[in-house]
Amino acid sequence: MRRIGAAIVSLAAFLAAWKVATVVGGYPEFILPAPEVVAERAWRAIGSGLLWEHTAVTLLEVVLGFIVGATTAVLTGIALGKSVLVERVLSPYIVAAQAIPILALAPLLDIWFGGGLLARVVICALIVFFPIAIATMVGIRSTDPLLDELLRSLGARDGQRTRLLEIPSALPVLFGGLRVGVTLAVIGAVVAEWAGASVGLGVLINIANQGLFDTPLMFVALVTLALIGLAFYGLVVLVERRLVSR
Amino acid sequence: MRPLRPLLATFILLTLTSCAPGVGKSPSPDELRAVTLLLGYQPDVQFAPFYVAQQEGHFADAGLEVEIRHEPAPDVQRLVADGQAEFGVADATDVMIARTAGIPIRYVSTLYQSFPVALIGDAADVPTDPSDLAGLTIGTPGMFGSSWHALLALLEAGGLTAADVTIREYPQFNQVDGLSNGDVELITGFRNNEPLRYEARGNEAGLLTVDDVAPLPGPGMIVGEELLAGDPDLVRAFVQAVAAAQAEVIADPDIGFAAAEEAVSTIAEDPDVARAVLDATVELWEGDGFANGAIDLELWEAGYATMQRLGFIDGSVPMDEMVAPDVVGS
Repeated sequence: MRRIGAAIVSLAAFLAAWKVATVVGGYPEFILPAPEVVAERAWRAIGSGLLWEHTAVTLLEVVLGFIVGATTAVLTGIALGKSVLVERVLSPYIVAAQAIPILALAPLLDIWFGGGLLARVVICALIVFFPIAIATMVGIRSTDPLLDELLRSLGARDGQRTRLLEIPSALPVLFGGLRVGVTLAVIGAVVAEWAGASVGLGVLINIANQGLFDTPLMFVALVTLALIGLAFYGLVVLVERRLVSR
Repeated sequence: MRPLRPLLATFILLTLTSCAPGVGKSPSPDELRAVTLLLGYQPDVQFAPFYVAQQEGHFADAGLEVEIRHEPAPDVQRLVADGQAEFGVADATDVMIARTAGIPIRYVSTLYQSFPVALIGDAADVPTDPSDLAGLTIGTPGMFGSSWHALLALLEAGGLTAADVTIREYPQFNQVDGLSNGDVELITGFRNNEPLRYEARGNEAGLLTVDDVAPLPGPGMIVGEELLAGDPDLVRAFVQAVAAAQAEVIADPDIGFAAAEEAVSTIAEDPDVARAVLDATVELWEGDGFANGAIDLELWEAGYATMQRLGFIDGSVPMDEMVAPDVVGS
């Protein structure tokens, strides 16, 4: 109960600060709408079905992008962690890919992958990939060498050592990467939609901002994205608590 | 006290000189009123009249010291409405929507006599009758902005809706890539930009223009309601300075190109394309005849009705609250 109470107090303080900022700053609605204006606009967007139409698509992109990105990243991270040679060969490309602004690359990826859901999942997965791959590699390398030696002396094969020792040892660090990755998946979905999409919360932001000049609706989309990020982050934390012993 | 004496003398000298009457045609820099002009996205040869007005002294003659800044198009309207900038350039169709959404701006002068957006494709593939658009795949930046308005207006003129075509979106404005790649059959684009880029890749571009089918008013200058009500002379001086510079560029595009070359460093990368863009832009400014920024109210009425039929505006804000034709005359 104490945790829920703290969350409610924190939310109330945030909304109060937001409201104060709009009043003290004297901002018009089209620059910074007050929280109650955004809430009223959200109510209308929910009632008309507009919000769900866009949210459902973004949710799908986030889930698929995260699954593809995280799975690829974990497998790559294990390979990087276990083999210095693989790390030397792949690391420059992985780091270089991370250094390239995805916003610049996304329109090309959209064309290469023929637009549609596939292109958006690829863009989302690319954004998710780096932190999880690096976290997995660091986690694998943090395995206790004495335990590894023990397993070797017991005749454990490489696959058994990975499954029974290295991956469990890597989990605390790996989940750090997953926490970052899942929030990046939300950003990735929006970036992908900005590269080419007809529906999704990123599209709704564009329509509200550039098409309708409806700043409160843009805030509704932003708040929805934040809630999606919070929900998935919380889900990862729940899974982490179940899998990682403290 | 001694160190203060030179400062005091300088202050007195500056005060006296600032009070002296001007002897030249232009006000001295101390007398110029600083204002901010917001243009879209990035410096470009299409903004040549503003560079000419700045470099050739049209703004100074009007008593203005103009700072030019570039902002994303929707931000231009909000910042001007909020008084964070005095002037901006915006699409007329966006002004209708923004004004209906409660953003207090006014369209005060016309920059483009012709509507700059058209449907573009391979010359052999572009229909002349909008009803033949049915079933085609069309690339557009998104469901916003003048490109989207023009597309829906063209479809409506052909008795169609967006449901009768396949829309593919290119929010990064790279729809020419989609057209060249064969992903779409037609794209929306600006007549002074996308056709040139498409032809630069060895294609022959064809156009279906809005002007001939579903007339809409083109981009123009906007100001905030508050500024227009409080200082109409300032607004008039500004738009007249812009119109004078624009007329100068129309009469001699070399002047505009030279000013743009000085203001836009990227023109040096490909001056031939930039020159072609300017020449095509001049044609759009002129339309049926350059009118020094005057607003064509009949065209606005037709465009307002079209935008209302298409559902972009609900008619709650009448057209005469969106335009201020008396600033330069209509």
